[in-house]
Amino acid sequence: MSRYAMVIDLQRCVGCGSCSIACRNENNVPDGIYWSNKITETVGTFPNVRHHYIPTLCNHCEYAPCVRGCPTKAMHKLDNGITMHDPKKCIGCKYCEFNCPYGVIYFNWKEPHQFWKSNKVLLKGGTSSPQEEVEKIGAKKTPYFNPERGATLPASRPKGVVEKCTFCDHRVRKGLLPRCVEACPANARIFGDIKAPDSDVTKLLGKFRPFRLREQLGTNPHVFYVRDFNPAQYRPTKGGV
Amino acid sequence: MKNEKAKVQSSVNGILGNFVMTRRSFMKKATAATGTAVVLGGLKPSLKALAATSEISADEMGEWIASTCQGCTSWCAKQIYVIDGRAVKVRGNPNSKVNNGEGCPRSHLGLQQVYDPDRIKTPMKRTNPKKGRNEDPKFVPISWDEALNTIADKIMELRNNNETHKYMLMRGRYSYMRDVLYDRMTKIIGSPNNISHSAICAEAEKFGPYYTEGYWGYRQYDVTNSRYVLIWGADPVAANRQVSYYTSVWGDVISRATIAVVEPRLSATATKADEWLPIKPGQDGALAAAIAHVILTEGLWYREFVGDFIDGQNRFVAGRDVIEEDFEEKYTHGLIKWWNLELKDKTVAWAAERTGLSADQIHRVAVEYAKAAPHCISWVGGGPVMQVRGGYTSMICHALNGLTGGVDNVGGTLQSNKEYTKKFPKPDDFMDDIAKKGKKHEKIDQRGRLEFPAIKSGKPGSAVVTNNAADGILNSDPMEIKVAIGYMNNFAFSCGQPERWERALSKIPFLVHITTNASEFSWFSDILLPDTHHMFEKWGYVKAIGNGYRHVTLMQPLVKPVWDYKIDETEIPWLIAEKLAERGFDNLLRHYKEYKDPETGKAPTNEKEFALYALKYATQNLWDPAKHKGGDKINGWKEFLNIGVWNSDPYPYRKKWGNMKTKTKKFEFYSETLKSALKKHAEKHDTTVDHVLEVCQYQARDEKAFVPHYEEPFIAGDEKEFPFIFVDHKSRLNREGRTPNCTWYYEFKDLDPGDEIWEDVAKINPLDAQKFGIKSGDEIKITSETGSLTCKAKLWEGVRPGTVVKCYGQGHWAYGTLAAKEFGKVPRGGSNNDVIPAVYDRLSGSTVRHAGTRVKIEKV
Repeated sequence: MSRYAMVIDLQRCVGCGSCSIACRNENNVPDGIYWSNKITETVGTFPNVRHHYIPTLCNHCEYAPCVRGCPTKAMHKLDNGITMHDPKKCIGCKYCEFNCPYGVIYFNWKEPHQFWKSNKVLLKGGTSSPQEEVEKIGAKKTPYFNPERGATLPASRPKGVVEKCTFCDHRVRKGLLPRCVEACPANARIFGDIKAPDSDVTKLLGKFRPFRLREQLGTNPHVFYVRDFNPAQYRPTKGGV
Repeated sequence: MKNEKAKVQSSVNGILGNFVMTRRSFMKKATAATGTAVVLGGLKPSLKALAATSEISADEMGEWIASTCQGCTSWCAKQIYVIDGRAVKVRGNPNSKVNNGEGCPRSHLGLQQVYDPDRIKTPMKRTNPKKGRNEDPKFVPISWDEALNTIADKIMELRNNNETHKYMLMRGRYSYMRDVLYDRMTKIIGSPNNISHSAICAEAEKFGPYYTEGYWGYRQYDVTNSRYVLIWGADPVAANRQVSYYTSVWGDVISRATIAVVEPRLSATATKADEWLPIKPGQDGALAAAIAHVILTEGLWYREFVGDFIDGQNRFVAGRDVIEEDFEEKYTHGLIKWWNLELKDKTVAWAAERTGLSADQIHRVAVEYAKAAPHCISWVGGGPVMQVRGGYTSMICHALNGLTGGVDNVGGTLQSNKEYTKKFPKPDDFMDDIAKKGKKHEKIDQRGRLEFPAIKSGKPGSAVVTNNAADGILNSDPMEIKVAIGYMNNFAFSCGQPERWERALSKIPFLVHITTNASEFSWFSDILLPDTHHMFEKWGYVKAIGNGYRHVTLMQPLVKPVWDYKIDETEIPWLIAEKLAERGFDNLLRHYKEYKDPETGKAPTNEKEFALYALKYATQNLWDPAKHKGGDKINGWKEFLNIGVWNSDPYPYRKKWGNMKTKTKKFEFYSETLKSALKKHAEKHDTTVDHVLEVCQYQARDEKAFVPHYEEPFIAGDEKEFPFIFVDHKSRLNREGRTPNCTWYYEFKDLDPGDEIWEDVAKINPLDAQKFGIKSGDEIKITSETGSLTCKAKLWEGVRPGTVVKCYGQGHWAYGTLAAKEFGKVPRGGSNNDVIPAVYDRLSGSTVRHAGTRVKIEKV
C-alpha cells in the first residue's frame, strides 16, 4: 500500500496561489473555506524587506489529532495515509477543527455556494440571476461545478459538517495527481508514495533537510517543505562591531 | 451518492460515446457521423468536429479542449475541461512551447467570468435619452434584429450625408481577427477613426528597443541562460508577460542568476529577488545612466559587441570627454557621443541623490550586472516608461543591453520569432469614393499634431494616442463623432482621468458597446450587444513569444452558450454587413465574402461560417501541409484544432547583430533612427526638433535628444499640498480590470503582496502613516489635482516612504453586482485612474499611469 506525501519546494513556489484557486475549483469548495491556503509574512523594515509565502493544506498527519478527537469516526485515516472525512458520520461538533494544530479544517456554518442561490437580477430582462444561470447551464450548485469530486465525498458538503483537503483522493485513485499539484505552474509541489524508494518524493526528502509545520507536536505531518522561498545571494560578510 | 454519480456518468456517456474507445476508433466513429452528431445535436457543427478530435482519458467524465487565455497579454495556450458542454476547469496547453502546459492563478477566474450572471444575455437599448454619470440609461432588452437594424440605419445616415468620417471604432482586448471589424469595416464605411487601446497598455516599452535596435515590440527574455536579470518595473511572476513561463522557471533562474528588481514597491517578483531597489518613482533613468557610467569607467562593457579603444586603454573617466576616433565600435553606433552628451557626469553619487538608493547598492548592481555580460538582461517593464518623458527612460534602460551585448544573445533579451499567419483580403477594391474621401480625414486622437508626435516605428503620427480621443470627441476636433462602436474596451474606467470619457461618450449621439458586462462604458451607450467570452465562446487566434519560441494559439467555441452571445470581431460585423447590404450598401458584405474556406473554396453564407472561415483563412499557412513555411508541421485543420497551437522554430541567436532595423543597422547609442523620425515630425510642422521637444514637455535639446538619457520626472501636484507620489501596480488576479465581479478575486486578493482579501487597500509605509495618524483599516480618501478615490489604508513595509501604492482593478461603479458597491452609483473601493491625470509620453503616445501625480491622504 502506498503512503502518500507531498513535498513543497519553496524555492520554486512564487506565491501565486494557483494551487488554492484550482483546489476551490476541483473540490467545489465554497467561498470562505480554504482547503489549500498559505502563511505569509512580510519581514524586515524598509528598505530591507521581503515577503515570504508558505503554502499550506491538510498535513495528512500520521498521528492526526483531528482523527483522535473525532467522537464518531467521521474523520478517519485511509490505508494510503490520507486523512479522510465522512460527512454522513459528522455531527458537526468541530472537535477536529479545534484539535487540528494547523487550522486547515473548516466548518460549514452556512449553506454552501449561497452566491449562486440568489434570484436577484442586475438588469431586468438583460441579465440573469445566479440561480437562473445555474439552472440554464444544467449544473449543480455552481455553473462550473465539478461532479468528479463526488466519487468519494459529496461533491458539495452540506451545512453543519466540516471539510478539508483530501489530497484529491478522488483523483489519486484514478492515477491522477492532486489538482493543486497539477495546477502549480512552478512545479513547486511534488506528490507521491513516501514508502517507495524511487519516488520523487523519497528522492527529494533524501536530498534536502525538509521541515514540517509544528513538528514538535509529534503529529508526523506528511507535507514536507524543502528549500527557501527567497534564496537570495548576498556578499559574504562577518558583520562588525 | 452512487446513484447521482451513475446518472452523471450516463449522461456524459451520452455526450461523448463509449469511453473505452481509443482516440483513433473514436475519431473513426465520429467521422462516420454516427453517435456524435446525435448527441451533440444542440451544439454548433464545428463542435461536433471538436468532440471527435479531442483526447479522452478513460477515467474522466469530460474532455480537454484547446483554447487561449487573454486574461493578461501573456496570451497562453490553454485547455478547458468540458463536461456536457459546460466548462469546468482550465489548465495550460502542454502543446505550447511558450508556456509548456503551465498556467497561472488568473486563468481559473475565466470560469467565473464566462458564467457570470451579470453578463448581458441579450441586446439592449437605452430608453433614457439623457446621458451622463447620474442618468440611469434604463436599458431594455431588444432583439438582435432590432439592434442591428438600428446600427445599420445610423451608419447609412452617415454614408448618405457624406460624413462617414464621423464614424468611430474603439477597440479594447482583441484577437488577431481584429482587422475584420477594426480595420476593414472602418475603412469600407469610410472613416479614419479606428482607435485602439494600445497606448494605455505599454507602447512606451517598445520605444526604447525601437530607437536602439529597431524592434517595435515586446521582448522575450532568455532567463534560463542568464546570469543577471535586472528588472525595471516589470513583475513577470505576477503580471504580464508570459507569467506562466517565467513562473515555471523562476525557481531555477534564481539559482543561476542574480535577480535585481527596480520598483518603489515590493513586487511579487521582488519577493523572489536578490536585490530590491526601491527607487523613487520617475528616477529610473538616473539609475540606468549611473549603471552605464560604471560599466564604461570600470571597463566592463562587452567588447565583442561594442568594440574597444584602438589602443586598448580605457579613456572613460568621469567628467572627461572622449575623442570619437579613439574608439572603434563593432555592432554599435555612437557610444562616444552617448558618453560625451550624457554619461560622463552620471556618477553613482549623482544617481544616489536622485534615486534614493544607496551608492553602495547602485555600484554593486552595476558591476555584478556587467560582469555577467553578455548573459545578462536589462528588462524594461511598464513602470519606468509609462510616464511623462518615459520614452527616453525606455531608451536608456534598454540601452544597457547594448553595453553588455545581451541584446539578441544567449541569456539576454530577444525579439520575436517568425510566424506565418496571413493578412485578410485587402479592402481597397471595396472602398468607394465616399469611403476614400472619408478615410482621408485626420484621426480623432489628434496623433501627428505638433504636440503629439506619436512616432511608432519611425513614422510620426503613426501611434495611437488612445486617451486623447476623449478630448478629440469633447472638442469635436478634428470632427464631431456621431456614430461609434466600442468592443471589449472600457475607457470610462481604464483610462486616466476617466471623467473626460464620461463626458465625451455622453456627447456621442449614437454609441454601441459590444461587451460581456454592462460596464462604465456601457452606461453611456445607446445599444449594448452581448459579446462572447474569448476563452470559451469565440473563434480567433493570437500570437505570443516566450521561452525562445513564438506560438500561434487558437480560441474556439467549446461550451454550450448559455445565452445569445455573438462574436465581436467576426459574427457581429458580418451581421452589420448584411444589414448594410439590405440598405443598398453591399461593399462590406461583398468584401467579407472573399474570406473563403481554404479547404473547400466556399464563400461564407452566414455569420457562423464567416467566423470559422476567416480564422482558417488567416492561419492556413500553419495547418495546411502544402503551405508549410516553418515551425511545427501540422496535418490539416482538424489536427490544428485538436492541438490548438502552432510553435515557431527556436530563436536564432545573434542573427541581428550588424543587421538591426535601425538607420545604421547597428545598435544605436546615438539614435540616427530617432533623429530622422524627430526631424520628419519637425519638418512636417515647419519647426525645429528643439521646439517639438519643448512643446512635448521633454528637457533634452540639440544632440541630446538623440541619445538615451535621463530626464527629470514630470509629476503633477505641489509637494507641499500633495506629499505622496502615487504608485499604481497590477494584480496577479486581474484579467484586465474585469475580475472584480468574481468572488474568487476577492477571496484570494491577498496573493498580491501587501493586499487584503475582500478589500481595496492603499499601501502606506508605517513611518508615513504615523506622521499622518493613519492606521491599517482606516477608510481614507486619496486626492490628486484631478480627482479622488476612497479605499482602506494598509500599513506595509514593502512601500517606499513618500509613496502610496495601490493595485489597479477595483473601484468599478458599474460592471456587475460584486464589482460595484451600488451598480451605476457607488464604486466598491477606488479606481486608481480617478486620481491619475490624462498626461502622456508624447513621443510614443502612451498614457501615463506611473509617476504621473502626487496625492494627499485624508482619513474619512
